[in-house]
Amino acid sequence: MTAETIIQSLASGLLMGLLYGLIAAGLALIFGLMDVVNFAHGEFLMIAMYVTFFLFAFFAIDPLLAAPLVAAALFVFGAVVYLLVVRFAMRAKANAGMVQIFSTFGLAIVMRGLAQFFFTPDYRSVTNSWVGGKTISIGGIYLPEPQLIGAMLSIAAFVALYFFINRTDFGRALEATREDAGAVALVGIDKNRVFALGWGLGAALVGLAGAIMAIFFYIYPDVGASFALIAYVTVALGGFGSVFGAFAGGIIVGLVEATTALILPPSLKSVGIYAVYLLVVFIRPRGLFGSM
Amino acid sequence: MTVLLETRGVWQRFGGLVANSDVSISVGRGEIVGLIGPNGAGKSTLFNLIAGVLPPTQGSIIFDGEDVTKLPAAERCQRGVGRTFQVVKSFETMTVIDNVIVGALIRNTKMRIARQKAYEVLEFCGLAARADKLAADLVPSEKRRLEVARALATEPKLLLLDEVLTGLTPVEAQTGVELVRKVRATGVTVLMVEHVMEIVMPLVDRAIVLNLGKVLVEGKPTEVVRNPEVISAYLGDRHAVGA
Amino acid sequence: MDTHFAQRRRRDLIVAACLAAIAALVPLFVKDVYVENIMVLTLMYAALSQSWNILSGYCGQISLGHALYFGLGAYTTALLFTKFGVLPWFGMLAGGAISAVIAMALGYPCFRLRGHYFVIATIVIAEIALLLIQNWDWAGAALGIDIPVRGDSWLKFQFTRSKLPYFYFALALACIAWLVTWWLEDSKWGYWWRAVKDNPDAAESLGVVVFNSKMGAAAVSAFLVAVGGSFYAQFVSYIDPESVMGFQFSLLMALPAVLGGIGTLWGPVLGAVILIPLTELTRSFVGGSGRGVDLIVYGALIVAISLALPKGLVSVFSMLSGRKEAAR
Repeated sequence: MTAETIIQSLASGLLMGLLYGLIAAGLALIFGLMDVVNFAHGEFLMIAMYVTFFLFAFFAIDPLLAAPLVAAALFVFGAVVYLLVVRFAMRAKANAGMVQIFSTFGLAIVMRGLAQFFFTPDYRSVTNSWVGGKTISIGGIYLPEPQLIGAMLSIAAFVALYFFINRTDFGRALEATREDAGAVALVGIDKNRVFALGWGLGAALVGLAGAIMAIFFYIYPDVGASFALIAYVTVALGGFGSVFGAFAGGIIVGLVEATTALILPPSLKSVGIYAVYLLVVFIRPRGLFGSM
Repeated sequence: MTVLLETRGVWQRFGGLVANSDVSISVGRGEIVGLIGPNGAGKSTLFNLIAGVLPPTQGSIIFDGEDVTKLPAAERCQRGVGRTFQVVKSFETMTVIDNVIVGALIRNTKMRIARQKAYEVLEFCGLAARADKLAADLVPSEKRRLEVARALATEPKLLLLDEVLTGLTPVEAQTGVELVRKVRATGVTVLMVEHVMEIVMPLVDRAIVLNLGKVLVEGKPTEVVRNPEVISAYLGDRHAVGA
Repeated sequence: MDTHFAQRRRRDLIVAACLAAIAALVPLFVKDVYVENIMVLTLMYAALSQSWNILSGYCGQISLGHALYFGLGAYTTALLFTKFGVLPWFGMLAGGAISAVIAMALGYPCFRLRGHYFVIATIVIAEIALLLIQNWDWAGAALGIDIPVRGDSWLKFQFTRSKLPYFYFALALACIAWLVTWWLEDSKWGYWWRAVKDNPDAAESLGVVVFNSKMGAAAVSAFLVAVGGSFYAQFVSYIDPESVMGFQFSLLMALPAVLGGIGTLWGPVLGAVILIPLTELTRSFVGGSGRGVDLIVYGALIVAISLALPKGLVSVFSMLSGRKEAAR
């Protein structure tokens, strides 16, 4: 194993990690807002990838151009899911945690079923997109262009999210609702509206990620499952409630995955991620940046 | 009168904050002692140290002749320290009687006997009619009494009451005062944290006033309320001036 | 009040005995292999969910990694039999014991975690185990283990001609899991577990050692689930990592209890009796198209029940009996 190989895999690991961060950002945002873990998060990603695929297949819109459209579509979708399902799950007086887990999990199964029904279980892929399959060489290191663009998009999204949460009225409303939903109602902010927008925003973020993923990953009804667990681990690693923890968590997950793949057989590459998660929470039970 | 509980030079620091500094108090067997003081005086911290929620930064806690400083809460309960919580912590999905059975199980391993014992305690606390209700369905004053019942079921030598009378209507508070007297009559020593001095002063044998984490004064309630230092610590607090 | 309570416990026991007796008689009238298969699976899931319910329902430590113990039971039995000729009955006990020990070893660090951190830890631990077995050549790696047929006998716990013995074993297993729960419910452990679930701080103040309570629940729960896994290995006579240790299995085990009524005695049974036949039927009648209609029906059902009845299907029964009492 040469130094070059190591640098090469760490660089790709970093890019993939930034993309993981983007996938997880929506999950972290929703959890931070209302303490709900969306067990259909992977299926949101799956839907985003299909939307990208069909925009490409039917209208020849390149995934890079489609990304904002996909994000907008997912925004609507996320808000609708909140209004149709999650809103009712929040009302449960008994077993609130289980109701949230299993209503979103049931939704995930329905979404997979619908995808099979309408799109068939076939594997699909976006062929001949602008950047698909292309690499760029920087100082002798080859970086795949889709992942590179995904990583830059991820950084941009987190920067935008930072300004959005800290500098806009709606961001402040989100933050206030998160801290005390009851008091917020008193000052005339409609809690449901804020939550619906929060879900929309969370879904839009995963929409961006899905548009990029569609360029270099197969698209099939179960594709979300493989990324959902990574997204949960990413969020928990950073600490639930911390959106920017997800950013750091994503980078760590990407790097650890790349490192594990260097040492262990490729089929075991996820073991490293899981082991690091356990190690972190055994030392810090609320993740790296979670509040105590 | 022999000493049941003693804290010797107890300190508790949270980072840079000193919640208790060099607190040495003692409680005799059969006494009702009030632990009072303005908000932020360190009452709750001291209380948690005695109950074993966390170990003190420095100093030792002697209970019933033994050093219990390092023992966890469950172990202290085993040795005879019972407690209630300021913010009630009922087992909400369990019935009232089941709540109390949890406490009774520490002294009785046979379920039938534990259940019998729990029922007796509920009668003692005036909650027997509520036995089969869910704890979540009780009104706040009943939840307070359930806290007391649950702690009594562990057959404590020392009962720690954390603001059980605060926030009750005068009638409810009076019932509470009578319950505390009844408890003492069965031979249980009581240490109670209270903020409302009017209610607690006629009840306690002795009052210990904490301020800024230190013991300010201790003595008979009538003396304590006239103490100028106590009045100034409570300055602006109408209970102190009124008493 | 005391007699009222004792009456309820006795009534539960009588109802369970009646149900078990009826279930035992069903094969005399139903000879269909397909139906028999569904009944075996229903009973197995009832037993598994009942066992999962001990740790996750009663003690409140939600595990979505119980496939680990199921897989350990299946693999221990299959490996001991194929590699060393050890009878499945011993394999079953060994699998249960190993699982109980591992559950406690894992509980030691994990029980410090709360909420979602705990849930995710259970998921990733089971995933690590799955990946390791998939790469363990001696244990058949991803291909799994084919359990060789050595003829029908109770001694070897193998039946190829009729599946009926499996049915009776599954019934016994469901009864045992139910009885263990019934017995534990009114023991100090049962009270401690519920107290730990509702409020660990208060439990600790009443002399409950929270950590030990969780460990006890984990050991019992893992043992019973592993026995279920051993049974499954014999029943299907072929196991591979994904089919006995996959994440889906952890969820399938939790679902009957959650939909039936988590932390209740009857929830898992009720959930399994409704859910498993429904799953199998939708799979056979509308799933054949391969177009995911079964998933849509199944998922929608989960969403509907968890939203409409957060306390599970058992709450319908208590509402009905509540009304009856009020009408009196």
